[in-house]
Amino acid sequence: MRRPEATRLVAGGALLLLVLVAPAFLSLPQTSIVTTALCIGIVALGLDVLVGATGQLSIAHAAFYGVGCFTALGLGTHGVPWPLAFAGAAVMTAAVAVVVGLPSLRIRGLQVAIASLAFQLFAQQVPNKWDGIKFVGETFERPGWLEDETSFYYLAVGCVLLVLAVLARLRRTWPGRSLVAVRDVEARAAAFGVSTGRTKLLAYGISGAIAGLGGALFALQQTSVSDTQPFILRESLILVAIVVVGGARSPVGILAAALLTKALPGLLGTDFDVPGLGPASQVVPAMLAGLLLLAVVMQPQGIGGVLRDLERAASGRRERPVPRPQPTDAVVAAARARALRDVPRPLVQRLPTPSLLVARAVSVRYGGVIALQDLDLEVRRSEIVGLIGANGAGKSTFFNAVSGLAPTTGTIRYRGTDLLGLPASGRSARGVARTFQDMGLVRGDTVRENVLLAQTWLASYPAVGGLLALGGALGTERELRRRADQALELFGLQHLADERLGDLPYGTMRIAEIASAVASGPDLLLLDEASAGLTPEEAHALGDRFRALRDELGLTLMVIEHHVPLVARTCDWCYCLESGVLIAAGTPAEVTAQPRVVESFLGRGSLEEVAT
Amino acid sequence: MLGEVVVGLAIGSAYSLLAVAVVLIYSSTRVLSLAIGEVGAFSLYGALWAHTHGIAGWRPSVLVAGLLAVLGGGALGLLVERVVMRRLVGRPALDGLVATLAVALFLALLELAMYGIDPFAAPSPVGHGNVDVLGSTLTAPQLALLALAGGVALGLWLFLTRTRFGLATRATTSDPTVARLLGVKVNRVYVFAWGVGGLLAGAAAALLAPVQGSLTPFSLTTALLSALAGAVIGGLDSLGGAILGSLAVGVVTGVVGSRVDPTTSAGVVFLAVLATLLVRPQGFFGSARATA
Repeated sequence: MRRPEATRLVAGGALLLLVLVAPAFLSLPQTSIVTTALCIGIVALGLDVLVGATGQLSIAHAAFYGVGCFTALGLGTHGVPWPLAFAGAAVMTAAVAVVVGLPSLRIRGLQVAIASLAFQLFAQQVPNKWDGIKFVGETFERPGWLEDETSFYYLAVGCVLLVLAVLARLRRTWPGRSLVAVRDVEARAAAFGVSTGRTKLLAYGISGAIAGLGGALFALQQTSVSDTQPFILRESLILVAIVVVGGARSPVGILAAALLTKALPGLLGTDFDVPGLGPASQVVPAMLAGLLLLAVVMQPQGIGGVLRDLERAASGRRERPVPRPQPTDAVVAAARARALRDVPRPLVQRLPTPSLLVARAVSVRYGGVIALQDLDLEVRRSEIVGLIGANGAGKSTFFNAVSGLAPTTGTIRYRGTDLLGLPASGRSARGVARTFQDMGLVRGDTVRENVLLAQTWLASYPAVGGLLALGGALGTERELRRRADQALELFGLQHLADERLGDLPYGTMRIAEIASAVASGPDLLLLDEASAGLTPEEAHALGDRFRALRDELGLTLMVIEHHVPLVARTCDWCYCLESGVLIAAGTPAEVTAQPRVVESFLGRGSLEEVAT
Repeated sequence: MLGEVVVGLAIGSAYSLLAVAVVLIYSSTRVLSLAIGEVGAFSLYGALWAHTHGIAGWRPSVLVAGLLAVLGGGALGLLVERVVMRRLVGRPALDGLVATLAVALFLALLELAMYGIDPFAAPSPVGHGNVDVLGSTLTAPQLALLALAGGVALGLWLFLTRTRFGLATRATTSDPTVARLLGVKVNRVYVFAWGVGGLLAGAAAALLAPVQGSLTPFSLTTALLSALAGAVIGGLDSLGGAILGSLAVGVVTGVVGSRVDPTTSAGVVFLAVLATLLVRPQGFFGSARATA
């Protein structure tokens, strides 16, 4: 076992033990205080699904907590058994959260947070409308075995563990990978088959469901609720503070921050004065706000970041493998990876066709700037087609047009279907995969997670099934993992599967990106400057790999390249762009011999050099 | 009905002062400030405390306390810019939002710790006269809000269109990098935005608290949220749009709030924000850039 895992296990075990024996050291009222703080902790974990995993901010989670609480109360007081009331509260709150999150479909900016604020202001007034509070006097009966505070505390711990388990699953399923992709590379996530809109709403749904669970737990603990203080704006702000101080994506840090904020003042007692400052019940929240300021300015990783640093210090320096691809025989490796072609694509989308991609009169305009004008080109099946031109000639713009990331007019037919009518995220299912000039992957994730991300369209299980490990989700994930490992092996990256992508040298990251694209089982692979960042030997080997991908895997490749020898050696056909216009087409030898190409691509000076 | 509209406009005027502060800060720094309401409130707390208890034997009158709240708001705005916000230049937009949230939370909890949870009496700084307008009674602070909001809107428009520094501000708003290259001292624009924002927040607090009857922690942040709703509806980077939007929110709050109930009016505002963001995310008068 590696040392970091051992450290983590020991620390986690000790923490769990502490949590389990805690009631022995606490009075019953104190236990109850900790239980309430755990409810808030659950809501904060829910909020982190938005803040940490998706980069969205909700300032309505106290209101969501209230929605869960009152839904559970409403169901529970009408005789619904508590587990069903809990589930109902989670579903109801998820639905409300999705509505509040709807604007995220249209905008990336901070205005979405304003929608949540407006909801908070509205929701916190709703109980006032219910003649005082509707549920005053009605009680949500606890079953006999949950009547004493200690057993209820264990129920709360159980709920926290359930949420932690779901969050851990989240990272190993397509919803979790999509969330991170939308946070880090939103504009490109669609190229991996990630539907950004669906992903964001899913994040709001998951976040809301968890917050609703926290509210339901609170409802059952209180049995009746007469005070709306826990659900007001102030608490929503405090929840954001808990998540940021605890550290985004650090459940332990967040729970610690929740306990410190919500349990500590109560445990110290109402008459406890912090020397020189005042009563603990007022000083502790103010200190949290101060910590929040410090965290935002100095230590954006919060308590979780501090914990990670400690863990790293405790486990010592790891021996790192040389993060370079292992040399492999491209042909043999490609032949071994043929199973990557086994993807569930309808027969009509697999039939041999002479022209895979036909672009007609394709134009891309950004405001007044014409990036691409009336481009006609064709990619025949099983060819390697080069796309060359100076910087700004429109090469990457054409790739963006094909993958649905640029405002495009004209037609781009892929196997006879006009791609422009399809959503961007639908193209990897059709068989079009691509890489980006400046990397489209998630640097904070491991190499394998990135390859899995690129296979999103193949992850056919429903999101809820994935989170609860039901309905074949585990089997599908195993299969995707097998494919990922196969794709990594194809590029000699198998030993780097668990490395953080961002820790690798640039050239190796680029190879990992190609591996990801190939893992999605494409017919057409668009590679944007694949040789950038590679050593000359590696660039040479890359040429062999292009051929192997075509000959052994049957892929069609379109490559944007600046490395002219690579184009000359590997491409069957070549197009040259200049300022958004096609200026030459033919075999690489023909194209690179044209004076206009030489002038455009290599510069006027080079032409004179060649001439002399 | 018309009287309720006028009362709503008075409340909307307070929102519009806060909205102008938000838009000034947002346009120049791309930070959506949740702090500015509490900046005004914190300053007003101090001024009112001085009014009731006196500092070093000097007890400012209510009017002087109100002016102190305005100046204090400006000073606190500058302090927030200098101590917190300037360290966040170039960081993701979310960090700015969280930082201002932290400032709001910090100031409000500090108010709670310093002045207690009981509402703080907020006497009107502009006397107690009443005027009947179209069947509704407008109090002196409400009238002052209407006048001040009009004056501020006019003054800012003149400033932004007729002065050199106003031009520099507008240049920074449209592109900080280019403005810097053209010799605009961008930092000064940021300082200006937070300073003026603080002044406006102090004024809004000093006049809104008497209208609401008292001052409590978070009460100005709650008002700021209505202003933000209005600014989002009108356009976060459009001064005129934000003013119209927050006036509209004030009118809805005034009319629906008194005809039906405050819950329904908050619900209407929420739905309006939701609908605006779905149909025209940049707001009615905003530019598309504001949505990125």
